[in-house]
Amino acid sequence: MTTISRRSFLKTGATAAAVSVAAPALNKGWYGLAGADAGADVQGYFEREFGISDAVCRKILAEGLAKGGDYADLYFEHTISNYLILEDGKVNRAYSDIALGVGIRTVKGDQVGYGFTQELAEKSMLAAAATAATIAAGAAKGPARNFAQLKTADYYPLKTLFTAVPIERKLPLVQTVNDRCFALSPLVVKVNAQFHDQQKRILVVTSDGVKAEDLQPRTYLAAGVVAEKNGKRERAGWNFGGRRDFSYFTPAIIDEIAKTAVNRTLVLFDAVQPPAGEMPVVLGPGVTGVLLHEAIGHGLEADFNRKKISTYCTMIGKKVAEPFVTIVDDGTQPNLLGSINVDDEGTPGQKTVLVDKGILTSYIHDKISAKFYGVKPTGNGRRQSYQHYPIPRMRNTYMEAGPATPEDVIKAAGKGIYVQDVSNGEVKIGEGDFAFFVSQGRMIENGKLDAPIKDVNIMGNGPKMLANTTMVAGDFQFNQGGTGACGKDGQAAPCGFGQPTILVKSLTVGGTRS
Amino acid sequence: MKQDMYDLAAWGIKEAKAAGADACRIGIGGERTVEISYRDRKPENIKEASTKGLSLEIFVNGRYSTMSTSDLRKDALKDFIGRAVAQTKLLAEDPFRSLPDPKYYRGRQELDLGQVDPDYKTLSPDERHAFVKAIEEGCLAEGGDKVISVTAGSTDGYSESLLMASNGFDGYTEATYFVGSAEMTGKDEGDRRPAEYGVAVAFRRKDLPKPEMIGIDAARRTLALFGAKKFKTETLPVIIENRVVARFGGGFLQAMFGRGIQQKQSFLADKKGQKVASDKLTLIDDPFIKGALGSRLFDSDGFAAKKRVMIDAGVLKEFYVDWYYSRKLSWEPTTGSPSTLIIPPWKRSVAEIMKDLGRGILITGFIGGNSNSTTGDTSIGIVGQLFENGVPIQAVSEMNIADNHLKIWQRLVEVANDPYPYSSQRFPSLVFKDVVVSGV
Repeated sequence: MTTISRRSFLKTGATAAAVSVAAPALNKGWYGLAGADAGADVQGYFEREFGISDAVCRKILAEGLAKGGDYADLYFEHTISNYLILEDGKVNRAYSDIALGVGIRTVKGDQVGYGFTQELAEKSMLAAAATAATIAAGAAKGPARNFAQLKTADYYPLKTLFTAVPIERKLPLVQTVNDRCFALSPLVVKVNAQFHDQQKRILVVTSDGVKAEDLQPRTYLAAGVVAEKNGKRERAGWNFGGRRDFSYFTPAIIDEIAKTAVNRTLVLFDAVQPPAGEMPVVLGPGVTGVLLHEAIGHGLEADFNRKKISTYCTMIGKKVAEPFVTIVDDGTQPNLLGSINVDDEGTPGQKTVLVDKGILTSYIHDKISAKFYGVKPTGNGRRQSYQHYPIPRMRNTYMEAGPATPEDVIKAAGKGIYVQDVSNGEVKIGEGDFAFFVSQGRMIENGKLDAPIKDVNIMGNGPKMLANTTMVAGDFQFNQGGTGACGKDGQAAPCGFGQPTILVKSLTVGGTRS
Repeated sequence: MKQDMYDLAAWGIKEAKAAGADACRIGIGGERTVEISYRDRKPENIKEASTKGLSLEIFVNGRYSTMSTSDLRKDALKDFIGRAVAQTKLLAEDPFRSLPDPKYYRGRQELDLGQVDPDYKTLSPDERHAFVKAIEEGCLAEGGDKVISVTAGSTDGYSESLLMASNGFDGYTEATYFVGSAEMTGKDEGDRRPAEYGVAVAFRRKDLPKPEMIGIDAARRTLALFGAKKFKTETLPVIIENRVVARFGGGFLQAMFGRGIQQKQSFLADKKGQKVASDKLTLIDDPFIKGALGSRLFDSDGFAAKKRVMIDAGVLKEFYVDWYYSRKLSWEPTTGSPSTLIIPPWKRSVAEIMKDLGRGILITGFIGGNSNSTTGDTSIGIVGQLFENGVPIQAVSEMNIADNHLKIWQRLVEVANDPYPYSSQRFPSLVFKDVVVSGV
């Protein structure tokens, strides 16, 4: 279906095991990859494993440009995803999926033709390229004669490939987090736990002579807890992960996941109904950065701005916030979920300042929008898989630390809401109106944290929220989760976020007490 | 292709058993799709693709796993199946995992559900482009000088799938589908650029509205959002428009599944036979409506489809319980997922209802929000129109409704006459009284 302008962030909890009939996959999975993998050497993987040579790439790109496209690129992908799932005390379900394919894009101005194939045979790839080429109608152009290998930094170095870790070593992680949760409180009645690991190998080859390869890991260990007290049930969870390898999951990390999941569940028994209406809102550090993702991040994606459908499309160079507000989208933070060595159209991962000391300085660009604006791509051309063409997407979006203390921020709020955890959000790009769902928080009474609250939607408007951010504290944190996914135009992409404690002097709190 | 799928599935089952599986279930599917979008009266994106895949569920020594592949060559599949069976043995035993009792396969209806357009294969590229252009022109004309941007789109496709189990089940389905859509962004006051969409979906092309009507709908919806504001928090009657009822109702529906009940995550777990909504709510799961988007003859367990009354005049009658969770719960299974859901329409239109309600809000969209399946608490942002005596007086933004599903559905007071046709949840607009709408 064509675009719907509401962009949503989904912090998925546990991915259910499911039959995926239409999912692309190969004959490798969680069930026996040790020794079946080409190793950690990223460069040359697709040529070694699938015979994708420069000569083949040049031939396919030529077909993609056969009708006069300005530019074409190839995106090869081989992704191995595994899930181990615990329910009712046992790891008794597993699911695996492998995606292999190539997407071929032809660009003419801002128009895109796209074809993809799951078969890396030359005939199939040429047919997909011929489909992409139809976006143009002119004389053939030729691709570059040679492809220069892009040298990139490594923001997620791997000691061990997940495919080299046998299932016997993964199973205890899931079992242990379950056992820890039950040991922490007699009120715990159910635990759902899940371990996910993924290795995504990509090769991008462009008609203007760039060749880039990457191996992007993704993992998380998650626990969901149901507790029962006096006939009442509550549920919460926690996870840690990111672009890491198996060595990340130490006993201390497992303990922290279990403790956080259980504590966050038990506190809900004391939660009160939040009020309804406009009031000061304090956002605590870390995961609440979802606010930035919705309130400003999506609105700065340059495709919306070149089409003039974002509320921010006339604001570059203008003051949008106080001088202590600096907002960044950054693909270079070590091991975070949104970090990328290279984006999905061959631009190196980098850091992009969006709001510099209150001034709006940059949009988030892919190659098409960068050409439109006459700027360099910012490394945000990302896609869900080879079945999708790239579009501007966020990486790790965060606000830098400010001069206040968290205590001062809460005190200044007087009476309002403190947001501790956010589960999901959504924005309407054109209006700038956004919402995010607070799964955990506290009332603020007389400048101090008071009773817990839960399950309340908070509404606002992006530009107004930025202008109303009146205090920023120095307690910056990145969220260290591994389950976050952003949805845009039917594509999901992993992303990260972070934030210090901040005060927004007025947002609409969707409680039930009028 | 159909016979090839049957031959491959039968071969796969034989290979799985030879590799040591006690039982298995195989799904094979393929799909071809074409997407076109237009903006500024020229193609913005053109995309074509074919996909295929095979999924395998393995049951061995009381253990279970699932996996999938797109490599359907037999030599590769044989290796795939052998390793899958061997590695499944490393998981923990689950005594509740098995293929269903074949008695639930029996009684399958033999009906034409109207899911294949016989003219699909003759659809030409020119016809596709003409369809999208007409959507765009309809939107541009209706939006007039308020238009900043219009994107019009069309997606069509053909899919087929086969499900086969080693204990005697097989079921084949094929379908075509057609989607037309438009999204308009308009120039409002200040920096606000309201956007809304129109969309239509059908198995057969002739069941879509005229393409220009999809564009006109998008434009009218966008223009209706101009000048949106929030107002003081107030308790009001609200009408939830038909096409967004499913989003709100999903918070209730998610508590009706066997997994949530068995995992103690459902606020409806102990409510079967009890009144969970006002007597105005009847919810029917009907898999046999010709052309309806959720129609089917069997479910993913292979159970023969049945029409079921899920909620009868406010009383909860059934849950969605698949084979696996029926065994965990020691309950009789029903089906693991909804087919086409119906709330029977009443007689009055939304316009007629609005006249009698006095002051209220017509909710045409939601933003953000969520619902807690364990407690039933829900809170969600709204978009729509404040009206008085049937007349819209103010577009609404940055406002929110919050309630508990066990309470708000008791305040359902009327059902409109407009079931939404472009979803598997064919819900009419619904009217609730005494809803706290939070704003300023």
